[in-house]
Amino acid sequence: MSDSTMLLAVFDDLEPATHAIDKLHEMGVEDHQMNVISGIPFPGRVLGRPSALTNVSRIAMFGALLGMSLGIFLIYGTPALYPLHVGGQPVFPVPMGLIITFEMTMLGLMGLAFIGVFVDSGFPSYTPMEYVPEISDGKIAILFSCPSADQMNFVDALTKVGAESVAPAEARQL
Amino acid sequence: MATYAKPLVRQQPHTEEHEDPREHLMHDPLPRGKMNEMVMESMHETNPIFWVITAVLAGIVVFALGYEWYVLIMQGQGTAGVTRPDYWGVFLVNTVFWIGISHAGTFISAILRVMKVESRRPFTRAAELMTTFGLIQAGLSIFMHLGRVWVVYFMVPFPNERRLWPDFHSPLMWDLMAITTYVLCSTMYLFLPLIPDVAMARDRSEGWRKVFYRILALGFRGTEGEWKNLVTAMNIFAFAIIPVMFSVHTIVSWDFAMATRPGWSSTVFGPYFVIGALHSGMAAVAIVLFLLRSTMKHYKYFIRPEHFGTIGMLMLLVSMAWAYFYFNDYIVPWYGGDKWDKLLQEYTETGPLAYLWFTMLIVNIVIPWATLWNKKWRETPWLLASVGLLINVGMYIERYLIIPVGVTITRMPFTWRQYYPRIEIPMTIGTFALFLLLYMLASRLIPLIPVWEVQEGQENHILRKVGKANIPSISELE
Repeated sequence: MSDSTMLLAVFDDLEPATHAIDKLHEMGVEDHQMNVISGIPFPGRVLGRPSALTNVSRIAMFGALLGMSLGIFLIYGTPALYPLHVGGQPVFPVPMGLIITFEMTMLGLMGLAFIGVFVDSGFPSYTPMEYVPEISDGKIAILFSCPSADQMNFVDALTKVGAESVAPAEARQL
Repeated sequence: MATYAKPLVRQQPHTEEHEDPREHLMHDPLPRGKMNEMVMESMHETNPIFWVITAVLAGIVVFALGYEWYVLIMQGQGTAGVTRPDYWGVFLVNTVFWIGISHAGTFISAILRVMKVESRRPFTRAAELMTTFGLIQAGLSIFMHLGRVWVVYFMVPFPNERRLWPDFHSPLMWDLMAITTYVLCSTMYLFLPLIPDVAMARDRSEGWRKVFYRILALGFRGTEGEWKNLVTAMNIFAFAIIPVMFSVHTIVSWDFAMATRPGWSSTVFGPYFVIGALHSGMAAVAIVLFLLRSTMKHYKYFIRPEHFGTIGMLMLLVSMAWAYFYFNDYIVPWYGGDKWDKLLQEYTETGPLAYLWFTMLIVNIVIPWATLWNKKWRETPWLLASVGLLINVGMYIERYLIIPVGVTITRMPFTWRQYYPRIEIPMTIGTFALFLLLYMLASRLIPLIPVWEVQEGQENHILRKVGKANIPSISELE
């Protein structure tokens, strides 16, 4: 869509917003051309949209493997460099190795799950973005792109299904 | 065959007929904007008394954790009451106590989230903050105990010219790894669900607060992708932090149980310590919720008797579990007849500190069981907070009996002496003051009520007519 406009439609409630999504589908707007912005999470099935993709689980799993490797290195690798002889215990202790490996695995899992949220969501981002503060007060917004020539048709169609306002999306400092 | 049904004598209508569903937060929704406004107002409107208390607490912290710690460092551990055989004193009691307090946040937030206990929603953050601030006190207490705190980096594994390497055979190293993991993960777990609420605060603030919230909100808008990432990460945390929580206090117990000392060398110490941590932690949540409800504007809407009822029920269950584990830990050495175990038990029960042992049993078992079985009493905030306070006194005593009293009875009777804390007392007061101070300052800066979670819960709940009763139903929006 070379000559397109971003519009932001704001709704008071979930019902008209879901109708608006259906309307946008009817008018040829595809799922990847719109985004729903809300004050609480709604699963895709509630909105009638495909579920959003996330890489957080994969990143977290990678973190778990990384943490486990580090734990194994600490408990089974470093004694080769710094052998410590404790009465009656092996230099490479298996039972206590499990403790250190467990802690490092969990730290890796959760640490990278946390970082994954940043990476996948593009946080932190302090540049101006399309948003209206009313969203955190419970309104639901649909941000979508449409052909500039059809802008008024979209405004009329969404107003009819209950949009409180439909206007060109303005990037603003959050 | 005739059907015979004996009618109940009904002087009063059924309770359900009387109960107004709006008594429950989930069935008494307000517009999101209104709830946001209430939470923001509670942060902004501060009584002058608040600042007086803050100043007093800050003064105590400066004296107890600044000046007194300086004295401890300059004059050495001799200023504390620890000496042979009591090398482990109140600083370690404080460490175990504060780690115990910190368990409540994870328990309430993670376990209740995993089990989808809806009444958790308004107070998860208040509990999670206890975890972070409690762990800060635990960390400080370990450093106080170390004495030469400036060489604490010796415990960190990094190659150095002195060929010093931490001994991973030692339970103290396991402790370091576990507590570090727990501090980092619980702080991240506190921060993630906070992002949408600081974004809300950003949208409603001006001046320096706007800048502060803008930085913390990281540019969060609430797009589908952002929510998906956030909810996925929160689910990972909720499941993963539970075994970490269990591991932390189990490892703390192994600091003791791995030693072949009378009273300590016990296979049941792990779960016994975990349940003890939950006992004090749940009780502390009751106290904090009572204080928040009593002092913060509008919090009576968010924190209701039903929430105290939930916590009271958990406190009763945990008290029963604690009694079970305590009895396990008591009966085996009592029956075993080992000379030193017997001597330690006799010293605890009939010695100069016997009053502490009896107090512990009364406040940890008798009082919770005598009061919390009653729904009306459980749902009375001041009563639950009072029981919570007593439980925490009892749990502090329990740790005192395990640590300094436990090390008194060694296998060398000529070393026996009674331990008297000295500089430990003001420094202990300092940790309590710092905990309260941090909590009070946080209450001015971050929304303690997770408004988006409350709204999400309210969206999930509906009342369904079944026969003549309105039955609450919960949909699965999550």
